[in-house]
Amino acid sequence: MTTVDTSAETVGQRLGRDRRRTELGLIAFAAVLIAALYALASLGFSADLPANLVPFVAFVVGLTVVLHLSIRRLAPLADPVLLGTVTMLTGLGYVMVLRLNEELAAQQATWCAVGTVAFVGTLYFVKRARDLQRYRYIFAVTGLVLLVMPMVPGIGTTINGARLWVRIGPVSFQPGEFVKITLAIFVASYLVEKRELMSMGTRRLGPVLLPDLKHFGPVVLMWGVSFATLFVQRDLGSSALFFALFVSMLWVATGRALYPSLAGFLFVGGVLIAWRQFEYLRNRVDVWIDPWSVAQGGGFQLVQAWYDMGSGGLTGQGIGRGTPTRIPFVETDFIFAAIGEELGLFGTTLILVAMLLLVGAGLRAAIRSRNPFEKLLATGLVTVLGVQTFIITGGITRLLPLTGITLPFVSYGGSSLVTNFILIAILVRISHDAEEEALRRDLRVSSDGSTV
Amino acid sequence: MNNMNGRSRAMGAMVLAMFIAVFVQLNVIQVARSDELANDPRNPRQIEASFNEPRGSIVTIDGVVIANSVPSEGRYTTQRVYPQGSLYGHITGYVSIVYGTAGAEQSFNDLLSAQTTSADTLGSLFADRTLVGDVTLTIDSRVQQVAAEQLAGRRGSVVALNPQTGAILAMYSNPTFDPNTLGSQDQTAVRAAWAALNDDPLNPLLARSFREVYSPGSTFKVVTAAAAYEQRPDLVDKAYPQLSVLDLPNTSSDLPNFGGSTCGGSLTELLRVSCNTGFGQMGIDLGPQALVTQSELFGFNSEPPIDLPSAASSAFSPVSAFDQDIPALAQSAIGQRDVRATPLQMALIAAGIANNGVIMKPHVLAEACDTTGALLRQYAPSAWRTAMSTANSGALTNDMIGVVVRGTATRAAIPGVTVAAKTGTAQTFGNSANAWLISFAPAENPTVAIAVIIEDQEGLGDITGGRYAAPVAKAVMEAALSAQSIP
Repeated sequence: MTTVDTSAETVGQRLGRDRRRTELGLIAFAAVLIAALYALASLGFSADLPANLVPFVAFVVGLTVVLHLSIRRLAPLADPVLLGTVTMLTGLGYVMVLRLNEELAAQQATWCAVGTVAFVGTLYFVKRARDLQRYRYIFAVTGLVLLVMPMVPGIGTTINGARLWVRIGPVSFQPGEFVKITLAIFVASYLVEKRELMSMGTRRLGPVLLPDLKHFGPVVLMWGVSFATLFVQRDLGSSALFFALFVSMLWVATGRALYPSLAGFLFVGGVLIAWRQFEYLRNRVDVWIDPWSVAQGGGFQLVQAWYDMGSGGLTGQGIGRGTPTRIPFVETDFIFAAIGEELGLFGTTLILVAMLLLVGAGLRAAIRSRNPFEKLLATGLVTVLGVQTFIITGGITRLLPLTGITLPFVSYGGSSLVTNFILIAILVRISHDAEEEALRRDLRVSSDGSTV
Repeated sequence: MNNMNGRSRAMGAMVLAMFIAVFVQLNVIQVARSDELANDPRNPRQIEASFNEPRGSIVTIDGVVIANSVPSEGRYTTQRVYPQGSLYGHITGYVSIVYGTAGAEQSFNDLLSAQTTSADTLGSLFADRTLVGDVTLTIDSRVQQVAAEQLAGRRGSVVALNPQTGAILAMYSNPTFDPNTLGSQDQTAVRAAWAALNDDPLNPLLARSFREVYSPGSTFKVVTAAAAYEQRPDLVDKAYPQLSVLDLPNTSSDLPNFGGSTCGGSLTELLRVSCNTGFGQMGIDLGPQALVTQSELFGFNSEPPIDLPSAASSAFSPVSAFDQDIPALAQSAIGQRDVRATPLQMALIAAGIANNGVIMKPHVLAEACDTTGALLRQYAPSAWRTAMSTANSGALTNDMIGVVVRGTATRAAIPGVTVAAKTGTAQTFGNSANAWLISFAPAENPTVAIAVIIEDQEGLGDITGGRYAAPVAKAVMEAALSAQSIP
C-alpha cells in the first residue's frame, strides 16, 4: 500500500489555499465590477472619467484585501462565498450611496473601514464560535441595555418619529442594529441547553402533548422584547425582525410547530393592540393597500419608488442617469428602488441573488457544523439577513406594509454596516470551524481505516 | 441533530420563497408594468430628467419663439422660458417640476424631449448624441396678438382657424397666465405660483377657448337652420308667423324675442334678425331627433380631436330629455336650456359651414424638425365630420352673409370682403348674458373661421353679440386675412 500524505495540516492547507484562491477570484470580480460601476456613474453624470478613480479602486481593493488576508490567516477554511458576496453587496451599495450623496459616501467609506476592523477583530478574538456560549448572559444584558439606550434621556435621540438613535458626543448610532447579534447568541445558547426539554411533551391538552409551562417563559420574554421595541421605539421593522429571529430559532431548535404557532398567535395579538394604539401603523397599512390615492402624502415614497423602478425596466436607466434622489431616505431604506431605477431588474436581481448566495453559504456552514450552538447561531444569523432583506425589499415592492429598515450591506448606515460585518465574521468563523472539524473527522476515519 | 439540519434547510427554503416572491413582484413592476409606470404623466422622473436635458423650442408659423430652453446655472442645467409671457400660456402649457406638463408641452413631449441617437462608433459612445425636435405651430403671432389686444380687460375667448385645413391661427382666452411662473427650478416658488393661480376666482389657468363650455345662445341657430336644410327642407321656406312671444305649452315662461321685437318669415329672414319665436317653433317642428342628429354631426357630445390635451366636449341633450318637454325643445333650438358649447366647438361649426359642410380636424401642430433640420413630423389635414351637404352649406352661407349685410352682425362687416356670421347673446344665470359671434370669410372661398365670446361682466352694460363680439371678430378676421396674404 502506497502511503499518501494525508496529514491534517496538508489537506487543510490545500483546501484552505483552494478556498482562498476562489475567494480572491470572487472579490477580484466584485472589485472590477464595482470600479466599472463607479466609472460609469461618473460618466453618467458628467461624461468624464472620475478624477479619483484610482484612489477609489485602491480603497475598495485595499479593504477587501485586508478582509481576505485576515481570513487567510485566521479562518483559512471558511466558505469563500461569504466574503465574495459581501464584497459585491457592500461595494455596490457604496457606489450607489456615492452616486446619491457624496457627503454620505465619505462617511460610508469610513464605516466600511470600521466594519473591516470590526470583522478582523471578531475573527481574531473569537477563536471558536462556541466559546460565545459562555458569555450568553453578558450578551443578553448587553442586548437589553442597547435596546433601552435610545430611551435614556440625554443620549437618546428621535429621528423621523422613531426613537432608535443614541448620540454620544459627535457619534450617533442605532444600538438596535447590534442587538440582533447579541440576541441571536443568547437565544442560540439558551435553546441549545433547553431544546430537549422544550421539545418534549409532558402534559396533555386534548390531542396535543404540551411541554412544561415554564418553558414558555422565554418565548413570552422574546415576545416582550419584540413588542417593547414596537411600542416604545415605534420601530416595526426591528420588532418584526427580532420576532422572526426568535420564532425561527425556536422552531429550528425544537422542531415543534407549537412554538411558532403560539408565537404567531401572540404576534397577531400584539400587532392588533398596536394597530389600535398607533395611528402611524394604520396609516402604513392604508398606504400599503393603496399608495396611489395618497401619492402626494403618505404614499409619496412608495409611489415614487414604483415610478423609479418601473422607469428602470429590465436594464435600468444607467447608473448616474436616473433621478432617484427625490425619494425620501433613498440612501438608506429605499436604496433598492434607486438600484432598480439605474440598474434595472438586473441590478435588483443581482442584489437578491448575492444575498441568497450569502444565506446559502451561511446555511452550509450551519449544516456542516456538528456543534448545535453554532448550527443554531448560523441559522439564526442568516435568517436575520434573509428576513431583513425581505422586510425592506418586500416593503418597497408592496408585498408587505412598508417598514423602514436597512438593506444589509447595501444601504447607507454605519451601525448596520458594522453590525453586519461582525455578523459575517461570526459566520466565517463557524464555517472555518466546521470545515476544520470535518477534516479532523475524515482524518480520524482514514487513519482508523489504515490501522485496522 | 440531523433534524436540525433539515430545519436549517427549511429556513433556507423559506428565505428562497420570500426572495422569489420579491423577484416575481419586481418583474411585475420592472417588466410588466414598466412602460405604464415610466410613462405615467404623474411620474416626475421624466420631467426632472428633462430639466437636465435640452428641449426643443416651440415657434409660431411666422417664426416667433414662444417656448425654448436656455442653459442654466441653477439646480438643473437648462431652464425652460416662454419669451411671450402669458400670450400663449393656454397653448404651450408648461413644464413644471412639481405639476408635470400641460398643453403643447404635454402633447408634443415626445418630439420636444431629448432623444439619444444610436452610437455608430465606439468614440461616440460617450459623446453628446442628443437630438431634440423643434415644433412649429399653426398659430400666427399676428392674429394671436390682435386677439389678445381685442380681449384686453375683458373675460372671453377667441378661436380662429382655417376651415380648409383645421389649422388653428389664434386661440386666446382672457384671463391667462404666464407659464414662466410654473417653470421655475425652485419647487417652493412653483407651488406658491400654482396656489396663487388656483386661488384666483377668475381661474386664469383655465383655457376657456377649448376647456370651458358656455350656453351658445343664438349662434346655435345655425345648427337648427342646418337641421332644417338637411332633414326638413320643407321648413326652410315655411313662413313662420310674426310674433313677439312664442306661447309654449305647460309652462309660464314663454319664449320672447330679444327686446320684445316682433319677427317671423322664412328661415333666411329668421336668421338675419335672430328670431327666437321663429327658431323656437322650428325646433318644435323639427322634433328632438333631428336636432340631436344635426348637433352631433357638428361635433356636439364628442371630444373635438384637437392635438392639445383635455379638450372639453360640447353638449346637446339626448332625445329622451325632450320627452313631453316641448318648452325644452324650443329653448334648445335657440341654444339655451342645457345646450353647452366651447368656443372651439362654435368655431368648428362656422368652419364646417364654410368648408362645404366638412369639418376638418382642428390642430395646432404644423411640423416638427430635429436639430439637424430633418423633418420629424408634418401635419396632414384630415376631415373630422361631414355636417352638411355642399349645396345646403352654400345656402346657409348666404343666410349668414345676410346677417352681416343687414342683420344683427353688421359690426362684423369688412369693406371689400364678404363676411358670413351669426351673433348670439346667451342668457346666463341672473340677468347677465354672454356675447357671441361666429363668422367666416371670404364667403366665396373661406380661409378663416372665427368664434368669439365675451363673458358678461360689470361695466359692459347691455351686452349683445352684435355690439361686443362682432367688432372683436372683425379685427381678428382682418388680422388673419392679412396674415394669410403675407406669409
